[in-house]
Amino acid sequence: MNVVVLVKQIPDPEALVAIGGDGVSLDIEQKFAMNLFDEFAIEEALRIKAKHAGKVKVITLGSRKAIEALRTGIAMGADEAVLLEDEAFLAGDGYATALVLSRAIAKEPFDIILCGRQAIDDDRGEVGPMVAQFLGLPHVGGILKLDVADGRAVAEVAVEGGKETVEVQLPALFTAQKGLNEPRVPLITGVMRAMKAQIARATAADLGLATAQAGRPGSKVKVVQYSPPKKKPAVQIIPGAPREAAIEAVRILMDVERVL
Amino acid sequence: MDKILVFVEAKGDGPRKVSLELLSEGLKLVGSGQFSMEAVFLGKLPGTVKGKILHYTEKLIHVTDPALENYTAEGYAMALAGYARETGAKMILAGATQRARDFLPRVAVLLQTGIASDVTGANWDSNPMTFIRPMYGGRVLAEVSFSAYPAIVTARPNSFGVGASLAQKGEFAEFQAGISPGQVKTSVIKREETTLGKVDLTEADLIVAGGRGLKAAENFRLIEELARTIGATVGATRAVVDAKWRDQADQVGKSGKTVSPKLYMGAGISGAIHHIMGMDTAKVVLAINNDPHAIIFNYANYGIVGDLFEVLPAMTEELRNRLGK
Repeated sequence: MNVVVLVKQIPDPEALVAIGGDGVSLDIEQKFAMNLFDEFAIEEALRIKAKHAGKVKVITLGSRKAIEALRTGIAMGADEAVLLEDEAFLAGDGYATALVLSRAIAKEPFDIILCGRQAIDDDRGEVGPMVAQFLGLPHVGGILKLDVADGRAVAEVAVEGGKETVEVQLPALFTAQKGLNEPRVPLITGVMRAMKAQIARATAADLGLATAQAGRPGSKVKVVQYSPPKKKPAVQIIPGAPREAAIEAVRILMDVERVL
Repeated sequence: MDKILVFVEAKGDGPRKVSLELLSEGLKLVGSGQFSMEAVFLGKLPGTVKGKILHYTEKLIHVTDPALENYTAEGYAMALAGYARETGAKMILAGATQRARDFLPRVAVLLQTGIASDVTGANWDSNPMTFIRPMYGGRVLAEVSFSAYPAIVTARPNSFGVGASLAQKGEFAEFQAGISPGQVKTSVIKREETTLGKVDLTEADLIVAGGRGLKAAENFRLIEELARTIGATVGATRAVVDAKWRDQADQVGKSGKTVSPKLYMGAGISGAIHHIMGMDTAKVVLAINNDPHAIIFNYANYGIVGDLFEVLPAMTEELRNRLGK
């Protein structure tokens, strides 16, 4: 069973994000972490490998710093890592990014693709389903459980007000949701291996893509400008003993804000 | 005239509120004279749902196919992309529901276009139209435009209002998706319902949420009683879900749900960045915490520094009095 895991190195959730003077670029504090949903995806891939043998390959698209995410994957137990590194790949929308990833995945035979439900930096949640469609494969989004046997997979998904069990023919893509598993912490031996591991690289030319198909030129949705969110006014603390404050809060919500 | 399709979903015996929000926006665009609009419904369409949709659109298209009996991303994507292609739509609007966010990216690939996901605003009058999407957990807003069509947009629930219904019912037509057997490789084999009929957090107007300050699972009854009094949905923080006090479905925040209610009341919540990212588009926030330095107060409109075990019951009692319950 060959499993491909798509991962993304993202700014730490607490990193400072400032808007550049031109209004179309972002200045992001250089503090990074692997997207949290991707850790569930790697863990699930390693569990599938433990049960069914095969190999786990992690792929990321990004600049050199994204190697960190690949090394984390190897430290956890992945066998191979590929960095899709090309100026032409950067600043793409979901479509352009998914096109590049799907080309890279298609280079070698595979049975399962796993990725996070969404990246928590740009919050699009588009790339997983788009990769599946580019490859003409089914996908199941936001899985909580995955069982693989005989060329098929059975997955559990949380749906509004309940749970659904879905069966799908392999190869297929699954996006991981919190609750799927508990990602392992890499062992020191894994970390050592990751430091020495060779990271394969691929450029647009390697994937048979013209630069106009990837990154910003290949994007269907483009950022016109960035702006800061509207600032909330300072909090108004409601004074008094708990009971008085509670009664005053009700009055404010009903008579001033009129939200009740 | 450019055609707009609005993908409509049902909940219970009516259309989802977010679907009505987008139909209402669509009707405004129709009113400008440059657009026509159709509501599009996929799969089994109950009569009551149909009746209600027809009051918010000039035309409802029911896309049918045996493959649409149960939701699958593949089937829904093929059906909607097929209809959009057939009719030459310039824009597809949908609520940013779990389902729409799951299959519309596939529609975008099938139609070789892009998608603006989970937008919280739109500049319908600018040329080209632009859409506002929060990024980095709401710390930046990106204004985006399309260079391919149809423009596919999913909008966060409660970002737009529901307008007045039409005096006259719209027309109705069916469209057969014509999905060939074997094209859909996914099948739903079981569905378990646990909390059917409850208002989902993502669409809720009113939310009462609790954090670790509640000290024990059973104390969530204070949150539940307050919520029940005003018809609110209960939310929870990651700490509380990880401690198994509440179900994962109740989690608000980065690894849970993004909510945008009119009123968000949070009790015993410290305000970790992961939580704030999930609720910072709430219109009014009331925080209750006995720590005056709790970070949640930086994101609240109103705060009560006090013991939630006294404040919550007092609020519930006062609300019962005032609401006559």
